Amino acid sequence: MTELRRADVAIVGAGPAGMAAAVRLAEAGLRPVVFDLNATPGGQVYRQLGDPQVDAVVMGEDYLRGRTLVETFTRADIDYRPLSRVWWLGRESTGYALGVITQQGAQSWHVDRLILASGAMERGWPFSGWQLPGVMTAGAAQILLKQGALVPCTSAVLAGSGPLLYLLAWQYLRAGQPPALVLDLAPESGYRALLRQPLNAWRGRGYLLKGLRMVAALRRAGIPVLQGVDGLQAEGENAVERVRYRHRGSWKTLPASLLLTHFGVVPEPQLARSLNLPHGWETGQQSFLPSRSETLAADERLWIAGDGGGIGGALNAEREGCLAALDVLASLDIETPDALGWERQALQHARHRDLEARRLLETLFRLPVDWLDLQPEDTLICRCESVSRGEVEHAIAQGAAGPNQLKAFTRCGMGPCQGRQCGESIARLLARRTSQPLDTIGYYHIRPPVHSVTLGELASQQDT
Amino acid sequence: MFRRSERACQAARQVQVRVDGVTMSVPDTLSVAAAVLQVHGWQGYRRHHDGSSRAPLCLMGVCHECLITIDGQPNRQGCLVPVAEGMHIERQGGERHD
Ligand code: FES
Repeated sequence: MTELRRADVAIVGAGPAGMAAAVRLAEAGLRPVVFDLNATPGGQVYRQLGDPQVDAVVMGEDYLRGRTLVETFTRADIDYRPLSRVWWLGRESTGYALGVITQQGAQSWHVDRLILASGAMERGWPFSGWQLPGVMTAGAAQILLKQGALVPCTSAVLAGSGPLLYLLAWQYLRAGQPPALVLDLAPESGYRALLRQPLNAWRGRGYLLKGLRMVAALRRAGIPVLQGVDGLQAEGENAVERVRYRHRGSWKTLPASLLLTHFGVVPEPQLARSLNLPHGWETGQQSFLPSRSETLAADERLWIAGDGGGIGGALNAEREGCLAALDVLASLDIETPDALGWERQALQHARHRDLEARRLLETLFRLPVDWLDLQPEDTLICRCESVSRGEVEHAIAQGAAGPNQLKAFTRCGMGPCQGRQCGESIARLLARRTSQPLDTIGYYHIRPPVHSVTLGELASQQDT
Repeated sequence: MFRRSERACQAARQVQVRVDGVTMSVPDTLSVAAAVLQVHGWQGYRRHHDGSSRAPLCLMGVCHECLITIDGQPNRQGCLVPVAEGMHIERQGGERHD
């Protein structure tokens, strides 16, 4: 028999939201258990910050900003369990049940309250050749930089849409490996739209200035930055050999072996989806988001904090972690709602101000809704099961009416990533072909295990 | 391939791992996938069940393109496993592992 472990509060994820929630709960005398996929705290944004491999000269000040939080988290009395995969969640009358694979083996937990802080992932955004070795995400490139100060041995081509693209280009420049070319796939209409929204531009001026400064630094260093690119392909036999792109109506080809792409980030959906929580399509973020109350609660015993609930960035995630923790405390009557009122108000105020500033990014980096239509028929939508756009379109024409039917027709979403890479594309294709809103189309049913788990790992139940 | 930038802010602590039978030193802060990308690059990382060549895409546990054999266990997510002294890593570049 395996022992059932118990905790008042569990937090999934040790990025800024999870760390901040845990720290605030610990301050109030609780000892939350924190499960995290990574070996060290910080999430993606503050990865390796407890033992940094690169400094602010390369990474920029925003990376170092998380240092105090990581240190406070590390010192606080928290039941932190790194390298842990929460592979299933179950709702129970008195809380949540969790199945976790830890370094010590499989464990079962019951917790009274649960905070999901599982963060964001790079948006899966198909283009011809994106399955070739030599295509990686900008997020992956940043992980290599943070984890081991690793930069490519070759000059990479950077392509996509979003602030991270320019940040990475700037970091590579600082790290002594400037990129060969930066291809900005944000539609130029975004810049025009910005001129019509002076208030949003003003609120987001911090982001704007930072971006302009980075672009200026790249241009000064002689790195070509092309705006208004609207087509992208990777070509090669067993790895990338050439990058093709369309700029001002004509296709160009460039020999290259490494293409780093970024098409924005979206909430990592698996745990919230596995609980069948209601989600809605958010047009600003161009993404499905789980429904949350103003206090970030998804039900009486569940909270979703940070980018996993909607993209707001690292500082916002930290605030949301605190907000979720405050609501947990109020629900436990540990601190009275009155005592928490001021703290909560200040956090909410800052949060709303920040989210308003982000509208600028949403306007500037809007992805084109007809992107998939313009990709060649043989472009893979589902990488795991190698299902092409043509096959998906064919199945839709045959009458596959929703994501789950499409899965049964084509096997899309049935591979090891469980639809994380193709789920959004499948919904987008269905919405366009059947002329229905994305909220009507919905998403795959996600069933546990939400992480790949072997029978051996499940059998390794341990009582320590 | 990837290399350690000359702008790294400290010398890396190294561990010895065997990659496809060859012993090498890699920084101890790396994941298995990152270590393989450093020493071998993305070519020859993995063969997919449809026969195509694949390599890590996200390095954050999402895409499952980094599947690799670690200490005899096939199809481990290489980006989620830190390297450890004496670890045996084998790329799944040849036969199918499905
Ligand atoms: S590289 Fe994407 S899951 Fe490991």
